[in-house]
Amino acid sequence: MSSGVSLQDVRKSFGSVHALDGVSLEIESGELIALLGPSGCGKTTLLRSVAGLEQPDGGRILIGDRDVTGVPTRERPIGMVFQSYALFPNMTVRQNIAFPLTVRKRPTAEIKARSDEMLELVNLVPQAARYPNQISGGQAQRAALGRALAPAPDVLLLDEPLSALDALVRTRLRDEIRRVQQLVKTTAIYVTHDQSEAMAIADRVAVMNHGRVEQIAAPPELYETPATQFSATFVGSRNALELPVRDGRVSLGEAFSVPAPAGSSRAVVFFRPEDVEVGLNGVGLPATVEFKIFLGATSRLHLVTDSDGQEARFYADLPSRRAVALVPGARVSVRVEPTDVRAFPAGG
Amino acid sequence: MTTARVAPAPIARPRERRIGTRLFFLVAAIYFILPLVAVLIFTFAGRWTANILPDSYTLDWWKQAIGNPELVGSFSTSIVLATGTAILDILFVVPAAYWARVRNRRLRPIIELGAAIPFCLPYIVIAFGILQLSGIVVPGLQGTFLLLMLGHTAIAFPFVYWAVDAAMSAAGVERLSEAAEACGATPFQIVRRVIVPNITPGLVTGSILAFATSFGEFAMAQVVGRGLRTVPIWSAEALRSYISAPGTFNQLAVITFITFALLFVLSAIIVYWNRNQTLRLLPGAAAVAETERG
Repeated sequence: MSSGVSLQDVRKSFGSVHALDGVSLEIESGELIALLGPSGCGKTTLLRSVAGLEQPDGGRILIGDRDVTGVPTRERPIGMVFQSYALFPNMTVRQNIAFPLTVRKRPTAEIKARSDEMLELVNLVPQAARYPNQISGGQAQRAALGRALAPAPDVLLLDEPLSALDALVRTRLRDEIRRVQQLVKTTAIYVTHDQSEAMAIADRVAVMNHGRVEQIAAPPELYETPATQFSATFVGSRNALELPVRDGRVSLGEAFSVPAPAGSSRAVVFFRPEDVEVGLNGVGLPATVEFKIFLGATSRLHLVTDSDGQEARFYADLPSRRAVALVPGARVSVRVEPTDVRAFPAGG
Repeated sequence: MTTARVAPAPIARPRERRIGTRLFFLVAAIYFILPLVAVLIFTFAGRWTANILPDSYTLDWWKQAIGNPELVGSFSTSIVLATGTAILDILFVVPAAYWARVRNRRLRPIIELGAAIPFCLPYIVIAFGILQLSGIVVPGLQGTFLLLMLGHTAIAFPFVYWAVDAAMSAAGVERLSEAAEACGATPFQIVRRVIVPNITPGLVTGSILAFATSFGEFAMAQVVGRGLRTVPIWSAEALRSYISAPGTFNQLAVITFITFALLFVLSAIIVYWNRNQTLRLLPGAAAVAETERG
């Protein structure tokens, strides 16, 4: 029932700003793809272009086999969820959900049946007769989801749907959105600036920066092997160190040594705090604990080392049980598996 | 009307402040109500000499006013004129304000400039402008009721525009409009089903202001509506003929009071009719409504 979305070299400028600098993306039917990036990266503009709320300057947008590039929003087979809910205050939850069917002049019986189904789907049956100002933010966003899905759209568009909610509701609703999307098997595009949200919900994540897609990959792949320096910085929390290249290799003392990217004199290396092996046995690079942050199951050690006369700071995550003795000032030795280190040319 | 129970203030106010608030409210109420009471008393006053209250009372002025065909005629002319003006203004302003806010924001400065004109130029100047222009473009309309109504629509439009635009801003119509569009609604459906129901407070305020502007307008009625008798025109004539026809002032008071009562009842009905709506649209009003129910 749902169809894929094909974006072909989509371009959009606002004055001299290239919001979309030639974006191409193939989204498969039934897939949930997250557009991830910092504010101003073009992810919202891309979503709004699929919705028809922005008109691209160039390129083509296809939903299924149909070219919708010049088609007005109301004629596109889409449903949209906004950050600010955008429920109609003059209508009850039920009327909001029924609205897409009402304006399409569907038969009354069908509207009734379909809105019942949607209320059930988003768990809002008890709130059906309430007005938007009488329900919570989480309920409002569920109502908005029901409204977007009521006309059985080919594509569901979600514009930072959880940003206005508090942390607890956010994770619950995130899982809820995923459950519903998989249940109705609709293709979905989900815009977010929160990488953990993107990884938790999406089949694939498209990392966007400066109006371009930097990398598109399944969450585990993106997490393990970021293709670009930007992806590495933006996804997951990583240590980033700029180090000199010697004899084609880049190394941090005895902690690690990896092949350097071709043709550069300095390199930026990324490695995860959980991949730093902290020991007291003297194997690896000597380091000093500057301070420790207790995070519950794990603790984060802020470490400082002296490698080749150059001070380097990074942090390591380890189980809190093992970090008890590691008070500030403690001397430790650190190692990182070379396979856990990713190096990019510096200044890129 | 029953006393509205509002949500309790988080901290109990000191007694003095509560008294101060009530005193202020009382003074304000007297300030607004006293002139109306005076007008009402005047409509029943027989002989009124040096006392605070009239020496005698009579129903004559009411009978005369209601039985005066000229007065009743000008009153109904004014009512139709003011109602027509308010309707025309709403029909014109709502789509224009919506378009300038949602579809093409470059129109906003033009509309806002237009909305400033009736404040910058005296109505008499605008009236002569309309007279000149209509003489060139549509001479057939000169001196007609329609042209006067269009003129009143033009001078009352800023009030309606500001009221409607503020209501649109408060309702976040840009957002609602996009949401409705994504739901498949046509522009007409958006305005009719989403925009208008969410800006009713602005529509009510705007149309009452337009009605009042037209009802009390004198200069344009004199110049553009030559020969048309509106209430202000009739009042001016009554002023001139006061000596020869005593009692016209009392009749004028009757009409003034009826007009006021009409407007008051009208707005009260609309506010009452929209009370749930207004509550829904006011931020934080839900809490108050909750307390009222409980």
